[in-house]
Amino acid sequence: MTVASEHQLERFMNRIDSGEKIEANDWMPDDYREALIRLISMHGISEIMGALPEKEWVPKAPTLHRKLAIMAKVQDEMGHGQLLLRVAEDLMEPLGKNRDDIMQDLFSGKLKFHNVFHMEAPTWGDAGIIAWLVDGAAIISQTMMLGTSYGPYGRALKRICAEEVFHAQHGESIIMALAEGTKEQRELLQDSINRWWPSLLMFFGPKSKAETGHTNQDKNMRYKLRTKTNEQLRQEFLTKYVPRIWALGLTIPDESLRFDEADGEWKYAQPDWNEFKRIVTGHGPKSQERLSLRVRSYEMNNWVREALGKSALASEVGSYE
Amino acid sequence: MSEERNGFYQVFEVFSKKTDTSSLQHQFSLLAPNRDLAFIMAKENFFRREQVADIWVVKRDDIKRMSQSEREAMKHLNKDYRETKGYGYLKKKWRQYEQEQLTEKDIMGGGDT
Repeated sequence: MTVASEHQLERFMNRIDSGEKIEANDWMPDDYREALIRLISMHGISEIMGALPEKEWVPKAPTLHRKLAIMAKVQDEMGHGQLLLRVAEDLMEPLGKNRDDIMQDLFSGKLKFHNVFHMEAPTWGDAGIIAWLVDGAAIISQTMMLGTSYGPYGRALKRICAEEVFHAQHGESIIMALAEGTKEQRELLQDSINRWWPSLLMFFGPKSKAETGHTNQDKNMRYKLRTKTNEQLRQEFLTKYVPRIWALGLTIPDESLRFDEADGEWKYAQPDWNEFKRIVTGHGPKSQERLSLRVRSYEMNNWVREALGKSALASEVGSYE
Repeated sequence: MSEERNGFYQVFEVFSKKTDTSSLQHQFSLLAPNRDLAFIMAKENFFRREQVADIWVVKRDDIKRMSQSEREAMKHLNKDYRETKGYGYLKKKWRQYEQEQLTEKDIMGGGDT
């Protein structure tokens, strides 16, 4: 990487400020590239790790229709991972890195994935809550970034958001059936909300670095990678979903939760941000189990990559003969 | 190791047509070890739902794309002389001769529309 001249940097910032999109081979400052790699590889790996708690429910889905729908969702999530890893790889190429480095960073714990995917999903209610509210939260943060200054990321998000709508409705359909079901089904759903509430609040990240000692949001906003703060997104989430949860006759495990008309914002009990830090650094209830699952499948499929690699080389040699 | 793994995956760009009469559109890129798998991956990655009439996969190395400076140079070219907007002043001129300027439709006239 070369040292940026002031002129280059100024031109780059002008491009961003005038709404131009930056492409993979364009000049960009090193810390813009680093911010993108951090954001997009984390997003991509989270899509893949996020398929794991849901995949647990494929064999156990209550009907064939539900099984087909959740299989389709799991497949979409893996597809989103593919798209995002491609975007990250093109950014990493000048640094001499590729997809294998992303996987190794995940296995070593250097690359983190979203807090929600470290958690348990013990009942079918959790499958519904993940699709309705975790995907609902993801849609809020992803649509906020559709106008991102980095062209390839914006194009990937456009494809992803279109499919997320199906995911959220698939989730709504599951929770609606449970909410209108038997007493046991309602209790099952209520338990899932209670279990997932702190994770949902944590999903958007801390309000400021006062909570966890570190945040990238200021830099990401300056580079127009994002347009809203973590707290703005969390407020949008509460406005969108709290009234709907209440309308179904369900409760939220936070007695202080209310919309403050005077301040125009939701007041809620802060989740335990120390717990958040513990979870995202690989100490959540399912962190190690899901990571080992990923490592195992990577190792077990290694022979396929090797065999295909050899046949690819062989056919290239063949084509020049 | 590094040589071996770099030789494994190649980047392919995926293009598709929604219907027989629509134009080819770029979809996204993907990694695959060869063209046949790139084609299968393209179907799996991008056409799980959408209607599609044709899919093309092209190795990225075989595509010449514009660089940043080439793209910027294109923006600065004035090509009014190639377009009708470069001849807008004629409307006023014809009025001076108490004539209406022939519209694009008048000029094209005659053919099947």
